[in-house]
Amino acid sequence: MAETYTFDAKDLAEIKKLIEKYPEKQAAVLPVLWYAQDKFGHSDPSVQKLVSETLDVPEAHIRGVVSFYTQYYEKPIGRNVLDVCTCLSCHVSGGYDMLHYLEERLGIKAGETTPDGEFSLQSVECLGACGYAPMLQVTNDKFVNHLTREKIDKLLEDLRAGKEPEFESNPMPQHQKES
Amino acid sequence: MPEIFIDNKRFEYEEPGKVLQFMLDNGLDLPFFCYHPSLSIPANCRQCIVKAGMPVFDREKGTFEVDENGDRVIRFFPKLMTACSLDLADGMVIHTHHTDELVKQAQADNLEFILINHPLDCPICDQAGECPLQILTYKYGPEGSRFEHKKVHKPKAIQLGPRVILDAERCINCTRCVRFTDEVSKTHQLTIISRGDKNYPMTANGQTFDDPYSLNTVDICPVGALTSADFRFRARVWEMNQTPSVDITNGKGSSTWLWTRDNLVLRVTPRFNEAVNDHWMPDAGRLAYRKFNENRVSRPHLRPDDSEQVRTSWNNAQLTVLEEIEKVDADDILIIGSPHASVEDNYSLRAFFSSKGVSKFYFVPHVVPGSGDGFLISDDQAPNTNGVRALEFEEINDKKLIKLIETGKPKLIVILDDDLIGRTSLTMDHLKQSWTVVMATNHSETTRAANLVIPVTTAAEHTASYVNVDGRIQRTVPAKETLYTNRRLNLEMSMGRLDHYGTKFDNWVSDSNRVDCIPAWEFLVRLDADRDTPEWVSSRQILDEIADSHPAFTGVTYERMDDENGIQLKLEQVSEAKTV
Ligand code: SF4
Ligand code: FES
Repeated sequence: MAETYTFDAKDLAEIKKLIEKYPEKQAAVLPVLWYAQDKFGHSDPSVQKLVSETLDVPEAHIRGVVSFYTQYYEKPIGRNVLDVCTCLSCHVSGGYDMLHYLEERLGIKAGETTPDGEFSLQSVECLGACGYAPMLQVTNDKFVNHLTREKIDKLLEDLRAGKEPEFESNPMPQHQKES
Repeated sequence: MPEIFIDNKRFEYEEPGKVLQFMLDNGLDLPFFCYHPSLSIPANCRQCIVKAGMPVFDREKGTFEVDENGDRVIRFFPKLMTACSLDLADGMVIHTHHTDELVKQAQADNLEFILINHPLDCPICDQAGECPLQILTYKYGPEGSRFEHKKVHKPKAIQLGPRVILDAERCINCTRCVRFTDEVSKTHQLTIISRGDKNYPMTANGQTFDDPYSLNTVDICPVGALTSADFRFRARVWEMNQTPSVDITNGKGSSTWLWTRDNLVLRVTPRFNEAVNDHWMPDAGRLAYRKFNENRVSRPHLRPDDSEQVRTSWNNAQLTVLEEIEKVDADDILIIGSPHASVEDNYSLRAFFSSKGVSKFYFVPHVVPGSGDGFLISDDQAPNTNGVRALEFEEINDKKLIKLIETGKPKLIVILDDDLIGRTSLTMDHLKQSWTVVMATNHSETTRAANLVIPVTTAAEHTASYVNVDGRIQRTVPAKETLYTNRRLNLEMSMGRLDHYGTKFDNWVSDSNRVDCIPAWEFLVRLDADRDTPEWVSSRQILDEIADSHPAFTGVTYERMDDENGIQLKLEQVSEAKTV
């Protein structure tokens, strides 16, 4: 059953700092949810409730925010979350092929988690990296760009071994000229 | 005065405001969904787009620039603007679909988008016939859709709360329902979840939409996404009659519409009244439809001796009451008026028994302290407490009433429509020693204790007025026929399609929903059999008499109540505070 989550004194102090940055408490919903997700690993209904009570913002509103962003996880999720972009630019460059390849490799469908809890797969909307399509993002962090099957094989291997993907620099063409 | 030009026509305005509302106020048409005059303006549906521009002002010359024809040069905004959120500005020029092809095309295209995932299930949708989406598509929409793919599917028939059901596929995400719970009822129970073409309104996880005003979201939903659990699939809207009335379940007396079909009240919805309830009403008031339809007393019920009540004729009921009155002294008669009955009924009760020598008239207010919310739900559970007060009935509580009965030992007790046994500490035993007449709309514990029950009309069946907790007098119009009224003859009643064309020999209309009852005042008139002409032939006459004889009601007429949406009376004591 759902665990009960709480913020300790240190968390509350951090949250207070976040709240103070904004004119209204409602504006602090995003960073506080982010903070909570960092701590608990997801933003399931009981986490939403906790954030709602802490901020005194209606619970329904928190649910709206969490469900709007694919970056917030509405339920406990795998250790590595692969957000494959299937929005326009990635789609035309083979985003769905990459997604389906991952589905095949992991034996799960988009929106599911592998039985060992290692990987979750999501199909997401534009992550603002259209220039490097097709691409995916690993657990709200590193982007893996210009995806190919080989690149995906390597990524899965690395992640299983506990190795984070490298940061790939993709300079803009005009900057490339200079370097 | 500042001016604005809409479709090449000049309008003047006084107050600052928005273009859409200004157009609506001036009877101009523009399609819109998300805008609601009593809610904030999110401008999210984009249906109200217009072309807007301002005259170019030459600062150096201090004049407006003019072209070679001498007309002002207009600089239009680069994109079409949403009229709902656009402030009126002096000299502004607006082009709508009437004068601009681009606007016309944009409106049709926007509708095509809105309809992309809409299920188009109008034939089985409750909203059909009163659906802004249906109407606006008909007027402004494209002829068809170019979308050839599978529509997005979303949850259907979700019980959001005890009274509201959601069909997420029909939702156009206008957020009116969400804004209502945020801004009006302030329960903040709804939100839009997810995004893009997957979103729809929802509560927080595990919460039910039990807002005491939840059904207002059904009224303002511009599509059939939110429907009422009670009214769902009960009737097509075009088969119903709509009659203005007043909420009788609470002291606030929100203005309402009663919707009837074949003489059953099928739903109650709010009627706009700026002075009382704006566009809203509490859910509880909508349940009154059951009181109008169910468990009605039909035909007088008499208890001969100690046996069960039996139905009897009106003639016998009249004669029996008269006999009982003859038998006793005026001092042995106890008259209890009712905050649940109208001004006219209470007045006629008083007038009739005054003529028989009775001098004291009582009533027991029906107030539940703490049940109100300071908005449209009052502590007072009755619609006419102030009306009975203004007619100088003495206000007593139930203990005092019991004491009156125990010490005074009245031989005859007359109770005007009020379930005193059901709602106070009065018991059947208290009434046992006396001969009791109860004039009632519905069966109740009190009618069961009576020797004679006179069936009287409800607010859905008579013309009568009620004075709310703030001292505002408002009136009802008959919506439902009794056995003795007929909408073809009573020109105040409305006629729906079925009333016009239905006959008893088809399955559309029947006589079975007409109750054998008359207004309480009419029964009292009949009791006055000695007179050559009846004292009153209509409640209108009674009200005129009250207006002439009671300073608090001076100048009050049905016409004024209709024209002014009720009249504020100057009562000495209008607050709820002093009620028992
Ligand atoms: S349910 Fe109705 S009122 Fe609510 S957002 Fe959808 S269309 Fe608007
Ligand atoms: S009514 Fe103006 S955008 Fe919806």
